[in-house]
Amino acid sequence: MNFKLTEEQELIRDNMREFARTYVDPVAVEIDENSRYPEEVIKKLAEGGWMGMPFPAEYGGAGVDYLTYAIAVEELSRSCAATGFTMSVHTGLACGPIALYGNDDQKKKYLTPMAKGEHLGAFALTEPGAGTDVGAATSTAVLDGDEYVLNGVKTFTSNGPVANTYVTFAWTDKNDKRNGMSAFIVPRETPGLSVGEHFMKMGIRASQTSEIIFKDCRIPKENLLGKVGDGMKIAMNCFDHGRIGIAAQAVGIAQAALDESISYSKQRIQFGKPISKNQAIQWMIADMYTDITAGRFLYYYAASLKDQGLPFSKEAAMAKVFCAEMCSKHASKAVQIHGGYGYCKGQKVERLMRDAKITEIYEGTSEAQRMVIAGNVLR
Amino acid sequence: MPNIVCCFKWVVDEAYIKPSSSGKIDLEWAEYKLSDYDRNAIEEAVRLQEIYGGGVTAVTVASSDATKGIKDALSRGPEKAYFINDDQFENLEPSQTSAILAQVIADQIDYDVIICGEGSSDMYSQQVGPRLAEKLGIPCIAFVNQLSIEDKQIIAERKTDEGMEVISAPMPVLVTVLPDINNPRVPGLKDTLAASKKPVINIELEDLASEYKRLLIDKGLKAASIERNCTHFGAGPEDIKAFVEAIRKTGVIDRG
Amino acid sequence: MSGVWIYADKYEQVFELLTAGRGLADSLGTKLTALVSGDNDTAQDLIARGADEVLLFPPLAEDQPVQDYVPLMADEAREADPDIFLIAASLKGKEMGARIAARLDTALCSECITMNIDDKGKLQMERLMYGGSAIQTVSINSRPQMATIPPRAYEPAQVIDSRQGSVRTLKKPEPSGMKVIDRKGKAQSSGDISAARVIVCAGRGLEKQEDLDLVRELAGVLGAEVACTRPISEEKHWMTEESCIGLSAKEVKPALYLGIGVSGQIQHLVGIREAGIICAVNSDENAPIFESADYGITGDLYKIVPALIEEFKK
Ligand SMILES: Cc1cc2nc3c(=O)[nH]c(=O)nc-3n(C[C@H](O)[C@H](O)[C@H](O)COP(=O)(O)OP(=O)(O)OC[C@H]3O[C@@H](n4cnc5c(N)ncnc54)[C@H](O)[C@@H]3O)c2cc1C
Ligand SMILES: Cc1cc2nc3c(=O)[nH]c(=O)nc-3n(C[C@H](O)[C@H](O)[C@H](O)COP(=O)(O)OP(=O)(O)OC[C@H]3O[C@@H](n4cnc5c(N)ncnc54)[C@H](O)[C@@H]3O)c2cc1C
Repeated sequence: MNFKLTEEQELIRDNMREFARTYVDPVAVEIDENSRYPEEVIKKLAEGGWMGMPFPAEYGGAGVDYLTYAIAVEELSRSCAATGFTMSVHTGLACGPIALYGNDDQKKKYLTPMAKGEHLGAFALTEPGAGTDVGAATSTAVLDGDEYVLNGVKTFTSNGPVANTYVTFAWTDKNDKRNGMSAFIVPRETPGLSVGEHFMKMGIRASQTSEIIFKDCRIPKENLLGKVGDGMKIAMNCFDHGRIGIAAQAVGIAQAALDESISYSKQRIQFGKPISKNQAIQWMIADMYTDITAGRFLYYYAASLKDQGLPFSKEAAMAKVFCAEMCSKHASKAVQIHGGYGYCKGQKVERLMRDAKITEIYEGTSEAQRMVIAGNVLR
Repeated sequence: MPNIVCCFKWVVDEAYIKPSSSGKIDLEWAEYKLSDYDRNAIEEAVRLQEIYGGGVTAVTVASSDATKGIKDALSRGPEKAYFINDDQFENLEPSQTSAILAQVIADQIDYDVIICGEGSSDMYSQQVGPRLAEKLGIPCIAFVNQLSIEDKQIIAERKTDEGMEVISAPMPVLVTVLPDINNPRVPGLKDTLAASKKPVINIELEDLASEYKRLLIDKGLKAASIERNCTHFGAGPEDIKAFVEAIRKTGVIDRG
Repeated sequence: MSGVWIYADKYEQVFELLTAGRGLADSLGTKLTALVSGDNDTAQDLIARGADEVLLFPPLAEDQPVQDYVPLMADEAREADPDIFLIAASLKGKEMGARIAARLDTALCSECITMNIDDKGKLQMERLMYGGSAIQTVSINSRPQMATIPPRAYEPAQVIDSRQGSVRTLKKPEPSGMKVIDRKGKAQSSGDISAARVIVCAGRGLEKQEDLDLVRELAGVLGAEVACTRPISEEKHWMTEESCIGLSAKEVKPALYLGIGVSGQIQHLVGIREAGIICAVNSDENAPIFESADYGITGDLYKIVPALIEEFKK
């Protein structure tokens, strides 16, 4: 066993770091404050080939492995968790299912512009009454001639207000809880699709979130993703690989919290010496470093299983729950190390603490991850 | 159309240079990076190529494990690289580096313009560029922050202690560039992937004809004290004098 | 043959190198040769200040760069074979030094910060590496032992009457094909503090906006950029955000930072931790900046800054 990235993976990580320093750091504070979608940054990401990393070159992607992609998400999130999430939802949850379940026509028509970053994708599964309990969804899709007619309301759709292409889910057979749900690709301009107001959130404020409303929204039959009744399977599979991205995002946020804590604790003088000379502070830093390293190897592990074509569902859930919880814990510790200043706007740790929390909620709450893990272990 | 050569060095990232408790410099955990000013050199070579056409070749003299450095340089635009490497090439002095570069460039590479960084971010001796020009017997323009080609002449604006000089010189020519000459682009993902497929010409010590003797004897390295001096002065005329004198002694002012 | 040679493209530094060279020549018991472009009066002045021999370059054509002296200097040095050859580390000097060293197949210690002669009569030199975080000690195994010397590392040599020396005028250097087609004086400060070598930083110790002129004047004398703390840019809006240093602003890496009326709160200090030398003027002797400064003056900036301007002008 060799815990070393390849030279190429290291370079890609370094380049994403350079990218984030050059284009993301300068706007990160402002886009958080104004809850603004950083269109110019996403355009730069697209130009750099970062918006379709793990997809084949013939469909506009770069053809790198999933591990390399996750590492890029970590580095981007270290500068701005919202931008990292925008890339990760687009790649993991929107492009991902089309790449995995789409036919050649769908991949040409939808995946290619998405992987090139010309189109942004979103994943609309959650409904007001169906969060963790995906099966409680009420949206329906009824075949009418050559078209499906979609009706229903999706909520918390990340990238919703700015996306070009939505992957969504609706019941084709309401009575079959196991195999009654199907997945669809819906272009933004489809009549009957409307986008709700952008939600004001605690953290990742630059990530755009809204409701997506389908009212007699007619899409061609060809836009069915996979087979009729594959919906639940597709959704769960999306979550499995999406979670690796969230774990990476959480490690990025935690790393940023550590970076800030190291530099501040060495500079801040109290009782005549830098606060980093106190064991109490040193232990916090040591714990942060240890958890970050553990979390990073957990998501590396999950990603490398996926890259080898091995089962990785349990490992992705483990990575996600561990990374998210350690991220929240240590972002809060980072604020603690910064004292009162850490609690004020203008300090990065203040933003990090707000951003950290969401990693425990979306793409399956920590509780949901534990259900997956326990379900696997107790089988 | 000009054949452009850019030279680069793979160096210890100074962020990793921390004094150990004994005051020695511990490089065991150090990471390496492309020397900062060489990013500008590569960018300038690629920028010139975009304007005037021609080709860009990157050249480095490095220890044999610097393969990541080659990929890094190639991801920034040059179409091929010469990797002159040996296990003993870790700590060469400027006279050796420039002599090795000169031999390979003279024997194997067509060149009209050679671009080097003004100095490397580790040693910062600022000698390799000018020495290389001498060894090749071509004009040298150092500390350049603007570059163009007109009628087969290179036109360079270079910084001097007094201000600026605009120089024209016939090609082939060597220039060393300052960091403000350009903003190096950030390589995209595809640039990095393409870099692995570009040709790399591997040259080892035994392929080189001459011997490269060490002339500069390294008598040791110690950490520069990072503690601040904390010297206090009062407000009297003598204090002002002493304060100004102390600053002057450090040699940091009036260097253009 | 033996001897110590010096060359500087600017007179101030010729005088400083005379001091450095004289010391070395005396401890080696050899003579000091100065290379300079100028006339016989120049030569006599250098002799009075410590040179034993002056090699005079005839003036260059208007469009000839000073680097055209390089072949001639190398030829003369090869002929005379001095022990030591010091060159001022101006931008031009650094380039010329490297080229001469290449022609003579010898080593050169760049921007040498200390020089000593050891018991075998060899130069031991120190220089900074790794962005100033390490000091390397070197000596040179070839002849001449060459070094470039940063400005102001030595006092300028004073005139001593009745010193004698010889003068020799060298031949006119050949044009090299390189032509100077334009020269410009120093551009007015571009205002970019991140690239500045010297920064004077204004803090809330200043009472009114007009007082910034005092800080600007000091900066002018030092060839520095003017920066500020957050209260100056964000609260008082006397300067732009672009000029602000600190946690929520820019990090800078000047060789010299001089804070005027800056208290030195950590949020500001993190922006200057990479500075080479930190200096401060503050009326409060307990101001935290003094803990993190190399040199500090306790006093009223309205008295201190004008005095500093006078003293730096000297
Ligand atoms: C910023 C943001 C972005 C999002 N982006 C998207 C998106 O792009 N696409 C999308 O489809 N959805 C998205 N979501 C929705 C997200 O995935 C859900 O919020 C999440 O799955 C939880 O659902 P819920 O909010 O309805 O909480 P609920 O399911 O109501 O859960 C509330 C609490 O109960 C716990 N709980 C629920 N069931 C159980 C159980 N059986 N056992 C134990 N505990 C349980 C949960 O863990 C949680 O603590 C986003 C949400 C947010 C906040
Ligand atoms: C979240 C946060 C982020 C921040 N980010 C930054 C930042 O990026 N950059 C930044 O600069 N600050 C930042 N600050 C502000 C920082 O904490 C300090 O308040 C600020 O640096 C103080 O600026 P000052 O030194 O100019 O003013 P003061 O602290 O008011 O100091 C003025 C000093 O001038 C001295 N003085 C007064 N009169 C004279 C005189 N006649 N002669 C000589 N000395 C005199 C006083 O003794 C005093 O020490 C931040 C604060 C917070 C809370």
